[in-house]
Order: sequence, then structure tokens, then C-alpha cells
Amino acid sequence: MTIKIWKHFPREDLYECYQCARCTGSCPAMEVAPAFGPRETILKCLNLGHDQVVEDEKLWLCCTCNVCEDRCPQKIPICDLLVALRNSAARRGNIPYRLSVAIELLAKTGRSMIVHQLDEMRSHHGLDPLPPAPVDEIREILKKTGLNEVVEF
Amino acid sequence: MKYALYLGCAIPIKYPGFEAATRLVCQRLGIELVDLPFSCCPPPTSMKLVHYDSWLALAARNLCLAEEEGLDLMTLCSGCVNTLKEANHVLKQSDSKRRKVNRILEDHNHHFKGTIRVTHILDVLYQDTVVERMNKEKVRDIPLKMGCHYGCHYFRPPKMMYPEELSDAESYVPVNMDHLLSIIGVEPTEYSRKFLCCGSPLGANMDQDAGYEITRQKLAYVRERKIQALSVVCPSCFEQFDMGQIVLARKTKEKDKIPTFFLTQLIGLALGLTPKEVGLDVHRVKAKKLLESINIS
Amino acid sequence: MREHIEGSPRHSDSHDLRIGVYVCHCGKNIGGTVRCQEVAEYARDLPGVILAKDSLYTCSEPGQEQIKADIREHKLNRVVVASCTPRLHEPTFRAACEAGGLNPYLLEMANIREHCSWVHLHDKDAATEKAKDLVEMAVGRAARLKPQFELTVPVTRKAMVIGGGVAGIQAALDMADAGYKVYLVERTGSIGGRMAQIDKTFPTMDCSICILAPKMSEVGRHPNIELLTLSEVKAVQGHIGNFQVEVLKKARYVKKECTACGDCIQACPQLIPDEFNAGLSIRRAIHIPFAQAVPSVYLVDMNHCLNNQGIVACDRCFQACSHKCIDFADRDEILRVDVGTIVVATGVDVYDPTALTELGYGKFPNVITTLEFERLINAGGPSGGELIRPSDRKRPRRVAFLQCIGSRSKRSNPYCSNVCCMNTVKDALLIKEHWPETEIYVFYIDIRAFGKGFEDLFQRARREGVTFIRGIPGEIIEDIDTGDLTLLGENTLLGNHYRYHMDMVVLSVGIKPHKDAPVLQRLLNLSTDTDGFYMEAHPKLRPVDTTSGGVFLAGAAEGPKDIKDSVTQASAASSRANILMSKGEVKIPAITSRIDPEKCTACGLCAKVCPYHAIEGGKEMGYYRVIEAACQGCGACVPECRFEAIDQTHFTEGQIVSQIDSALARDADQKILAFACNWCSYAGADFAGVSRMQYPPNVRIIRTMCSARVSPRWIERAFLKGAGAVLVSGCHPADCHYNNANQNTARRVEKFWRRLEKLGINRDRLRLAWVSAAEGAQFARVVHEMAEGLKSLTPAQIQESIEKLTKSLSKKADAS
Repeated sequence: MTIKIWKHFPREDLYECYQCARCTGSCPAMEVAPAFGPRETILKCLNLGHDQVVEDEKLWLCCTCNVCEDRCPQKIPICDLLVALRNSAARRGNIPYRLSVAIELLAKTGRSMIVHQLDEMRSHHGLDPLPPAPVDEIREILKKTGLNEVVEF
Repeated sequence: MKYALYLGCAIPIKYPGFEAATRLVCQRLGIELVDLPFSCCPPPTSMKLVHYDSWLALAARNLCLAEEEGLDLMTLCSGCVNTLKEANHVLKQSDSKRRKVNRILEDHNHHFKGTIRVTHILDVLYQDTVVERMNKEKVRDIPLKMGCHYGCHYFRPPKMMYPEELSDAESYVPVNMDHLLSIIGVEPTEYSRKFLCCGSPLGANMDQDAGYEITRQKLAYVRERKIQALSVVCPSCFEQFDMGQIVLARKTKEKDKIPTFFLTQLIGLALGLTPKEVGLDVHRVKAKKLLESINIS
Repeated sequence: MREHIEGSPRHSDSHDLRIGVYVCHCGKNIGGTVRCQEVAEYARDLPGVILAKDSLYTCSEPGQEQIKADIREHKLNRVVVASCTPRLHEPTFRAACEAGGLNPYLLEMANIREHCSWVHLHDKDAATEKAKDLVEMAVGRAARLKPQFELTVPVTRKAMVIGGGVAGIQAALDMADAGYKVYLVERTGSIGGRMAQIDKTFPTMDCSICILAPKMSEVGRHPNIELLTLSEVKAVQGHIGNFQVEVLKKARYVKKECTACGDCIQACPQLIPDEFNAGLSIRRAIHIPFAQAVPSVYLVDMNHCLNNQGIVACDRCFQACSHKCIDFADRDEILRVDVGTIVVATGVDVYDPTALTELGYGKFPNVITTLEFERLINAGGPSGGELIRPSDRKRPRRVAFLQCIGSRSKRSNPYCSNVCCMNTVKDALLIKEHWPETEIYVFYIDIRAFGKGFEDLFQRARREGVTFIRGIPGEIIEDIDTGDLTLLGENTLLGNHYRYHMDMVVLSVGIKPHKDAPVLQRLLNLSTDTDGFYMEAHPKLRPVDTTSGGVFLAGAAEGPKDIKDSVTQASAASSRANILMSKGEVKIPAITSRIDPEKCTACGLCAKVCPYHAIEGGKEMGYYRVIEAACQGCGACVPECRFEAIDQTHFTEGQIVSQIDSALARDADQKILAFACNWCSYAGADFAGVSRMQYPPNVRIIRTMCSARVSPRWIERAFLKGAGAVLVSGCHPADCHYNNANQNTARRVEKFWRRLEKLGINRDRLRLAWVSAAEGAQFARVVHEMAEGLKSLTPAQIQESIEKLTKSLSKKADAS
């Protein structure tokens, strides 16, 4: 199942990029992982189409820190692009395992983490136990929004 | 001053010390907090990237809960404030997105109207009236050389998060944490790449080592300036620096670790709370020695 | 042999109209969208038209010859050309008519290109129907045109040049050498501008001050040039050929007997950052801007002198001066000069990169701008030409240049600053020349080496081992102990991340209009483009003229450019000015207002609104009259008169009303009747056309010289005829070409709105929009919005408004 990515993100916004590389130059992922950075991502989308880009798992190395967009002289909404690309990638099954586990947890429990002996720990700090999460409501909402198309829950 | 307290997931579950510190601090400063049956925000680093519509709907639900009580929403976590501020903005701007979300939420008796604002504990504490009160209630100073780490999601993208603070170059360089801490006697110290990401999303989604490598770089810059401790406003950033130094030390064998504080823990200490009361005892990188050196125990 | 000119008094009142209509294809520009033949056929049936043709390029030689031949052969006594904007070719076709024996004021143009074919590219039917309307409006107006004779006024054979940089210097010299007196007004204490700050120039690597200084001293001693330094233009009155300029000459506090010996400097206790050295060194309150200054006289910067309260609290410099030429009794002076032409050469400032916090400028001492670098490497600069870095005065072994800082960016200036690429290439070569072991890295996006000798210089730099890396650093980090810098970025050509360690970083900053440019803009009625540079009258064909007659542009004030182009433009501007001054006279367009003394009741309302005080008279006289030589033709006076005693030549009530009637003859409810002023809004609509911005075809534009000419009676008539909406547009409030005449426009429209509200008529049907010549997009947006509004307007509502207005008029008539 694919989404028409350019419906969710206007492709014209990318045309102004003149490949100055201030974005990739600021990207934290570039220094520590085999990432290809926002500049190359934009170039690939423009020259090769987004299909190649959304197949690549390295897309998920982006930290969503937003510095690229901050420094872009053309004010290209790079982060919105990377959100749209990753949404599209997820629908094609390109989603890191740990992330899909985290989403499943969220969908099933209404929270993004589980910890042993939570109430004990909370009382150690003088806090009341955490009220249960509205699991059913969350589940129903997520059924309606169609989360199933990317992660089974 | 009354806010709906949005705790998120990480703080109440993993770092309840921050929650305790916050509640105590707010009590001392006359800030009333109301608890509501919130759910996961959801994070801008996970759900938003995987299924935008689900992200928007869940965020809208949380916003509706606050709207229904007529309260502005205060978060403790940068990820939460980023999600909720952006969702609030998007739903106010886009009629079609709002209609879509309301259709889903009406079955659960929620209807997004766009009547409240979303804010972060740092901004709440930085208000003039609160600062005044803080000055009055302060019982001790925290004379430490500290580095502030604002993180990324707290203030970026600036056009969305702090449009009134945009500089001539369409950016925003926050200084409020530095100012706030200097009021309680801290010496806020600059360091290279102060606004570099902590690396948490990279670590969480893909490659833990790569995430910690970014953290290691930041810590190296922090050490360069002889900074004694870090101050953060996000539990994810906290984990990177706290747990991160333990993980990194396995390889680097670094003995001299830099303790990290969550903002309200520091404010709490200044207002006279004990390290235990603000939850410092469960940090992995202990702050005991450092605090003892300035007569706090 | 003088041909008998049609339209001379014997034939002026001829009712025997013989109108010739020419519908231009303009190649495919019009013909590709508008069915020109059909429009010509339509024109043939209009009253008074005896000939209607369509032609391919009417403005061309054969096209003009055709018009001339037709005038003679068919005894045409009016000509209508439906083609491009009159702002482009009205002079062309007027000249053609005159050559054919017809008074040039008997020509009317219909704008079926910028206002029609170019903005309705995808709706050929609508464009053709609109073209027919526009031709019909033009024919109706042409029928009511009368022949006119232009008044000739003498041109003062003196010029003023505002700005003493290289462009101002060149312009002054060219006009002075041609024999005219020139006042050169310079804001700072010396002429020379940016060129005096530069070390070497590209591509020749000439020493900048060495080639400039001779020109500067020529200016200083030229018998025809009066050099006014420390001076600013405060007020400008008048018009082409006859400007009265008020110049504020600030006190220098040092007499011209000063020998520039410098004894005073040692004595002065005040320390101020030296602007000439870009803040890298210190000067005193008493100082000379730089060694080669012209005039070679010191000056006291009273803002920083201890005597700035008017009392002599410190006289150390006076005591130290052996020639006793310091005079604290000196005062500012106001000079009033009459000139015929003005050349604006106010130059540029550099971009301040402090806001780009990721680069560390202002925090890290070893990150500097190219201007600061220029001063460092200059032998006359703060380090005596030694390349040393600010933190430790050591010579840097590794230097980086970062391009496009503050240019090509929505975060700063969107345009390319033209000179930075070559400036950096030149700087790199300068370093290599003196210190060949220095490693130089240039971080770029594109290298623009477009001029003569530029590519050669670029190649030379590469041969000398300057490394060019394509990829601007995202961030600069400082090592606080050494002051060294690390650049983090991506090499886009290699596709890898880099970390370069440098001793010094030079930011190649862009250039932008001087911060006081808007002040002069107001004084001279100039237009600026969206970047703040002064706008030329036409980007290709009139690159140094402005829309204000007699005012010309030279140098970087018009747009970023290097020294060669500045000098070229300066000579061009002075040539244009010299034309006016050598002719000694200029024709004033025959568009002045005239009062009929029989109808005038001497109420004086017209005189009150005249921005030029060109109407005189009084109750004792029994009437008022217009001083023709002073009237600028804005027409603000006409709508004030309730007795139909005053009218504007060539923009008469009868002519405009016929345009309104023709425009609204059919489907008035679908139409937006627009009044646009010649200088701003009409030009803005033209710009929308030039930029091919598309908008709905509902609008019909009527041109007036000023929006203040627009009479509430016209708006009333339009609504009575069933117009869907009316748009009144003019220059932005402070930018009116006629000295704020547009304040009247605002007042009258606001009054009409109140009237509409009282009558219960939707006031959104009348819109007031300020649109400048550069705001094509704004004009298109307004039309879109108004057309959208028309969609919800019903015939019943229109009929109701007509009835209400008619009733209110008859009530008024009964009352009076």
C-alpha cells in the first residue's frame, strides 16, 4: 500500500534547493552513521523520484532535530519532507524493527513504555500510582485512523 | 496560575523523580496543576513518522481533554510539547484535517475547538511573576558551572514553536534556561555545539551506538569548558546523558562523569528541597559528590 | 516644408471624426491569445472609426510607417493603438503620429498585452472580449481628445550628484568636464566610498586606492565641482530641469587651512572604533577618515567629542594644533541650491552576519567578514598590510572563505550580490602572492565568474593551489584555547562529511542598499524593488533613468555590481543628464489643470489640496487660477470642485466618463472597474502581466496620473451603471509620486464607504488598494479576491443598490 506522497507534501517546495549542503553539514546523523543526509535526499527525490528513497532503511537515521530546516537558506520544509517520506516508507514495510515494536506497544497499552514495579517506584518518590491508560478508547481511535496499515495490533 | 499537567510517558514511568520535583516546585511557587486522563502524546520521533493521521488524532484527544476543562496545557517533556504545539497549530489552521479528526473523536465525545495553548515547564517558570516568587522563596544558591542543553524539540522549528522570537535570520537561539538558572546562583556556561541534538531518536529507532556517539561528542565539548553538570528539559535527553555515560564508559573507561539534572530538580534544590525529594538518588550518574561540594545533601 | 498639422486650431473642434484603430499582434504575445482580427473587425463598427487594422508588430519601422501613411491618405484625425502598455510605447506612437502630421495628443492606446493577453493566457474567449472592451474604451476616449501643445521650460544647467563613491565621482567628473556645475553631496567626511576601503580590485589586481585617488583629487580641484562633504539632502522640490534642493552641511569644526599634520590626534582623549577600518582599529573624535581623504581636512565627530553639549569642555586638540584651524564655533549650515538634474549614487552597506549564529561571527574573534579582511590586508589598514588574525595577531596558516553569506537566502537577502565570488578569488590570490605557503580553502555553491577576465582569474587561483570545496559548512566550532576554528559540512561533489581545521575564517558577505536609502526614496519619489535597491525606469531599455524625470541612478545603489559596472553606469547616467542640460530646455507634458473663471466661485477647495501650491487666487479676485509651470498634473484638484469649474487637460471628466460608460456597456455586473495610477498601480498591473501572473478577466483598468484624480462621481456613476465592483488603487501612502496627493484618495474613498454603509449597500464592492510598481503579485491577488466576491453578488442586489443610489441623488438634487 503506497500513499501519493506528493499529495501530502508539495513537490514544488523542493525545486528551490540549490544543493548548498548547509543542511547535511549540520546533520548529527551524518557524522556517526551511514546516513545520506537531507541534501542528497532532496536531490534523489527530484532526480530519481521518491521510490528509491523510501526503500532505503537509512532514511530512519534522521534524528528529527530540525537543524537542517533552520539553516536552509531557501527555507525548504525538510522535516516535513522526511516525515512524509517515512510515512510512505512505513506503508511499504520499511520500518525499523524496534520502532514497530514501540508503536505496537503504544497501540496496545496507550503508553510508549512499560516498567517493572511502577507503583513501588512512584511511591518511593511520594507519588500516587499512575491511573490506567484509556486503552480501549485509544485502540478504537487507532482502528479508525488506520494504523493497521503499517503496524498490526 | 493553573495548568493541566501533561506528564507524557517517560517521566511518570521511568523518571518519576522529575514529576515529584515538579509537583513540589509548583506547589511552592503557587502554580496549580490539574491531572487529566491523558494518554501518550504521541512522540514526534515515533508515531508521527510512521502514521501521521494516528499521531494527529491521539494528540488531538489530549488537547481536547485540556480544552474541556478550559485549561492551558503544560508539559514536562520536549517531545510532548513539540507534538502538542504542532498538532494544536495544524488543527487550528487546516479545516480539512480538523474535520477529519473531529469525525473520529466525536464517537468518544471529544471535539477539538482550538481554544487552549500548549506550553512547557521552562516557559511557565520563566514568567515574570513566577521568577519573582522564586526569588522570594529561594533558600539557597546552586553555585555550579552548568551547561544548558535545550534539546531540539523544545524550540524547533522556531516558526512553529516560538514565532514571536524569530531573529532577523528566521532562527531562535533560546536563552531562558540560562537566565532562569543564573537566578538561582548557577553559572551558565557556553560550550561548542550547544544546540546539537542529544542523539536520542537515532538511538531509539535505529542504532543505539550511533546515538550515544553523538552524546559522546557533546560531552567532550562540555568537558572542554570545565562544566560541572548539565541541565535538561526533556527525559529523552536526560537518558542520553545519564544512561549514556554509563554505556559509553564501558568502552572509554571514563571515570569522571558529568551529572545531569532535570530543570525542576535544580529549582527544587534552590527552594530548599532535598536531593532525595527531587529524585536525585535514582540517577545513574550520581550527583551526590558534586552537591556535597556545595553543601547540599 | 512644414506640413499642415491636423489638429491645429482650425480643425480642433471638428465633429467629423476619422479614427484609425490598429490592433497589434505583437508576434504571438497578443496574437497567441487574443483574436486580433476579430477585435479589429469589432472596432470597425464603433462610432467614428473609419479604419481598423490588425498588424504584426505595430511599433516596428513598417508598422509606424503604416500609421503615418494612413494618417495622410485617410486624413485620420485620431489614432488608437491597441497593443502593449502605454508606459512602454506611448512616446513611440506619439512620435509616429506627429511625423504623420497629427498632433501627438490625439493618440490613445489600449493595453491589450500586459493587462489582457499576458494575464489571461488560458482563456482566449475572455481575453478577446476584454480586448474588445478595452478598444471600445480607447475609441470613446479618443473621440474626446483635443490637440495639445507642450509647454517648454528651461533646464537649470547645473547638476547634483548624491553620493561620493566611485560612481558618484565618475558621474560628477563627466558632467563637470562637459562644462556643467556639479554639486557633489557626500554624507561622510570624504569621498571615496567602498572603493577606498578595498585593497586590490579584480580582475586586474590593481591597487584600488591608487587608481581611485587621482580621480578623487580631480574632483577636489575641479573648477566645476562644488564638493559638499558631511552633507545630506534634506528636501527636494520641483521637477525635471528645475529642482530646488535643501542640503544640510554638517559642521566640520576644522577650517580648510588644515594641513593634515595629525598633531591633534595625539591630544584627543576619546577612543572610538574606526568605521573605515570596519571596527578593527581605534580612531579619535578628531580624525581624518583615511590618509588619502578628499578634502584632506580633519573633522570632529561631534557625537563622540566631549564638547557635544555646546560648551567647550575639552580643547586639547585646539591647543595641540599649530595652525590654529580647529573651530568649535562652527555650525551646521543649510544650503539651498537649484539644479536641473540629479544623479543618485548612494552605494551599499555590507551584510552583518551576526544573526547567522551557527557561524560564530561576533563570538569567535577569528571569524571575520571580507570587508574586515580587506582592511587587514591593506597596507594602510590596522595591521599595516600584515595578514594577522584578531585573536593572537599571529599569521594564519590555513584560511577558509565561505561564500554566499547573507545572499541567495530567505534568511537574509534573496539575491546574488554579484561581487563576492570574484572578490574571494582575488583575496585568495592576494594571500598566495605574499604568503604562498598559506593553505586556502574556498567553500562555495556556485562560482560566478561571468565578466571579462574573471574566468582567467578563477583559473589562476586554482593553479596557485587554492582549494575549492562545493558545500557550505553547516556550523563553525571554536577551540577556545587556541582560537582555531573547525568547519563542519558536506563536500557535495564527493558526497562525504568534512571537518576542516582552520586558523581563520573569512565570511564572504553580501551587499545591500544603504540603510538610509528609503529616506532619499521619499525625497525624490523613487521606486525601489523588493530588495530595496532603487528601480530603473525600464530594466533593459532605460537602465539609468528613474520614473522621476531628471533623476538618474548610478552604481550599486541600483543593484549589486562591481567597480567597472559602477563606473560604466555613472558615465551613462551623466550622459543622460548631459542631454537634458545641453538642450537647456525640456517639454512639460500637457496634462495640467485649467480653471474656467466664469464657473469658478472662488471657494478655494482645489487650492487647498494642491501638493505643489500651484493654484492661486482668492475671493477678492473672484476666482482661482492654475500656475501652469508649477502644476505637475496629478489632478487632485478636480474632484474637489462642485461647480465643474476645473478640469485636467488630457484627463478630462468627459474623457474618463466615456471610458467608464464603454467599460460597463455590457455585463456590468461581471465587471470590476479599476482606476490605477500611472506611477505605481498601473505599473504594478503591467508587472503582473510581464511576470505572466494569471487572474480572472473581470477587471477593466482606467489610467490616471495619480489616484487622487479619481472622483467620487466616477465611483457613483460606475455603481449606477451596475458595475459589480470598483477598485481604486494608487501608490503606498508615503510613496505618492505627487507628494502625498494620495491622502486625498484615501479620504474620498473612506467618505464613499460611509455613504454606502448608510445606504445599506455592501461596502466591499468598493475597494481601496495600495499597489507599488514592483507588486504585480499583490495586484493579481486583489483581482482574484474581488472576482471571488463578485460570485456571491446577485442581480437583485445590484438593482437594489442602483435604486438606493438614484434615490439618494434625487434627494440631494431636491435639497440643493
